[in-house]
Amino acid sequence: MRRDAFHTVHPAVDLAFFLFVMLITAFVLHPAVTGISLAAALTYAICLKGRKTLRLCLTFVLPVVVIVAVFNPLFNHAGTTVLFYMKNGNAVTMEAVLYGAVSACMFAALILWCSCLTAVMTSDKYVYLFGRAIPTLSLVFSMVLRFVPRLFARIKLVSEAQKSVAPSFGKSPIKAASHGLSVLSATVTWALESAVTVSDSMHSRGYGLPGRTSFPLFRFDRRDAVLGISMLVCFALSAAAMATGHIRFRFYPSVKYSPADALSLIGYAAFLILCITPLLLNIWERASLARALGSGSFSKKTADGG
Amino acid sequence: MASYSVKDLTFTYPNGASPALDSVSFDAAEGEFLLVIGRSGCGKSTLLRHLKTVLAPHGERTGDVLFSGAPLSSVGEREQAARIGFVFQHPDDQIVTDKVWHELAFGLESLGTDREVMRLRVAEMASYFGIEELFDRSVAELSGGQKQLLNLASVMALNPDVLILDEPTSQLDPIAAFDFLSTVKRLNTELGITVILSEHRLEEAMPFADRVIVMEGGRIEVCGGPREAALKLYETSSPMFRAMPTAARIGCALGMTAPLPLTVNEGRAALRALGLEKKLLPAAEAPRHAETPAVEAKGLFFRYEKDGCDVLKGLDIKLYPGEIYGLVGGNGAGKSTLLSVLSGVSVPYRGKLYINGERKKAAFGAFEERVSMLHQDPRTLFSADTVADDLKKAAYGRGGGNEDERISEAVRLMDIEDLLGRHPYDLSGGEQQRAAIAKVLLTEPRVLLLDEPTKGMDASIKEVFGRKLLELKKAGLAILLVSHDIEFCAEYADRAGFMFDGAIASENTAREFFCENTFYTTAANRTARDVYRNALLTGEVIGLARKEG
Repeated sequence: MRRDAFHTVHPAVDLAFFLFVMLITAFVLHPAVTGISLAAALTYAICLKGRKTLRLCLTFVLPVVVIVAVFNPLFNHAGTTVLFYMKNGNAVTMEAVLYGAVSACMFAALILWCSCLTAVMTSDKYVYLFGRAIPTLSLVFSMVLRFVPRLFARIKLVSEAQKSVAPSFGKSPIKAASHGLSVLSATVTWALESAVTVSDSMHSRGYGLPGRTSFPLFRFDRRDAVLGISMLVCFALSAAAMATGHIRFRFYPSVKYSPADALSLIGYAAFLILCITPLLLNIWERASLARALGSGSFSKKTADGG
Repeated sequence: MASYSVKDLTFTYPNGASPALDSVSFDAAEGEFLLVIGRSGCGKSTLLRHLKTVLAPHGERTGDVLFSGAPLSSVGEREQAARIGFVFQHPDDQIVTDKVWHELAFGLESLGTDREVMRLRVAEMASYFGIEELFDRSVAELSGGQKQLLNLASVMALNPDVLILDEPTSQLDPIAAFDFLSTVKRLNTELGITVILSEHRLEEAMPFADRVIVMEGGRIEVCGGPREAALKLYETSSPMFRAMPTAARIGCALGMTAPLPLTVNEGRAALRALGLEKKLLPAAEAPRHAETPAVEAKGLFFRYEKDGCDVLKGLDIKLYPGEIYGLVGGNGAGKSTLLSVLSGVSVPYRGKLYINGERKKAAFGAFEERVSMLHQDPRTLFSADTVADDLKKAAYGRGGGNEDERISEAVRLMDIEDLLGRHPYDLSGGEQQRAAIAKVLLTEPRVLLLDEPTKGMDASIKEVFGRKLLELKKAGLAILLVSHDIEFCAEYADRAGFMFDGAIASENTAREFFCENTFYTTAANRTARDVYRNALLTGEVIGLARKEG
């Protein structure tokens, strides 16, 4: 993953962002709103993962978009503006085409937001957020993350070691099964044995005493507060405009949408700002970095000159 | 006030025939560095575990353990968790969580430490132990030495008064081990932490200790300063004397006892003072080899990933039947990779590999080619509930009748009659290694590849193990000994090589090879090289010096 400023904000702010954006995207089917969300999601995903996002788009997002956009008018014949009739006599309507296109974009946007979410919200952030409520949960999660890869590494090691003392099984399934059984038995014994040491090590460091806390890996600072509040305000404004009918789009039976007025424009702007919050943060950070480093190299130059 | 005061502690395990600890009494003063030594199974671990209530084994026990003047059992669990730090033997097994930061914080979390205090302590530990750059890493990425330092740091985060360490370096290579012991010593001198350490690496640990406790059969045999303890062991001709630092052994034998040298430097000074005449041991005649090597590699190149770096870079090696080849070298030089190529698990992408004169182009079955590889953790090899069943499995795998006869031969050779009925996991490290080799022998190998076989063995077990290797060599096996244990390689190998950056950098008969090196040579050679340039073993130095006197 590339360097991303939004990755460094407090996990609660990260999670709130994705919650707000994905809620609105999923529940408000409106060409402008969906368009804003899709464009922002695509840009942010490319910023985060570059070429991987393009691969995701080509192999997964595009097929979904095509299927939804094509299939909706083929099977949904509601709407009043008939474009043409198919051979079986069913009508293809302009409303159904539009509905298909917009919902396809909505799916695409959600997939892309999800790919951003998995890149930004790493396991330790979830553990941090939910571990505060239940400290043992975060410990169990961490122990599982440690144990599972160790187990697989051990299986591989034992399997290689046992090749010295047992004939290769080639294609014989019975010999393969017997080899597998030996490996499994050796690995299970090892796992039980090392569990004893882990348990000693845990109790030796006071595990099981009442009043367990968890380490604060993240700090909630002023920037997080500013970001959180501005996101909340944007979300509230756009949600208000949508709920009160100032941003509304009806597809069936005929297309009808709310006229642009002051409140709807504010709503659009708020949603746009909400969607591009990570991008804005990145731009702001780049700019301050460039300024700081630029002035730094300048002072260095003058120091060298002097 | 004394940190610990142990009075007449006697302890018997359930079903134990004799007591594991037999009226043990000693004091550990505050800020003292106490070294507990003894052969495997002498009761060191049992004793250390009695110094912390949650770790004390179950069994029948009499006598008292006082901690800061109060009976240990009356000190609460919370207080013991914080004030008594315990580091175990296996670096990997005692790590609880997946991330370095979480491991550092684990004890503090358990004690319910305040968040700000926790942040400070964790930060302090990370920087004191120099593991800041590892802070966000996953524990799996660390080396063995880093893992053990992490274990030490996460115990130190609780701010203990006493640090108890149970053979903490037995799984580490010599450089990491020395780093670790130096860090412990630093904690002792800089912070005044009482250290109680049990250790096999006495060459490094003895000079650090204020006092040494020597245990034998559950009793304290000797207790005193390191020089005093070494002298007493010499006088009573105790088997533990063999484990003493080389300088002390040479010093005792040559009567350089005022004061007895402990380090290589002190040993050199003492030898210089004797004003010995320069001498050379006669050079060993060039080894005669069979015509076809059992294993031959020519210009091997290997990498793990398509775009990765080469791990083996044009490696050449020949192993002949009836010889022991000692391969030394730092971590990451590619020694384990070489073993995996020679045992047919990994396939080189360039170069030629011959097993018994036959070219191997693809992955091959080690069992079919009679190449046996023994991983450094012998436990990977066991798959039955008793040693006897395990051996049967291996013997019947090769087939060809007379299995019982072959088993009893292997059992005799490795001297494991009394272990047959036991579970492989209940054996000590040295016993496991011997049982694993017996199992491997039943597959009738021609080539034996050993990865760090002496890891965690004490001096007397190593000696038994070395003799067994010589017998296998006589039986015509080609043995590759990959090891950090230079003393062991120097004593038992015929030829030796130094692996560096994916290739064999130099290779010679063991004697010539080691006496040419400055660092990668035995302590005896480093001590005596001014006078006896090619003496490698303590016995050789003593012999040469005595002849003169």
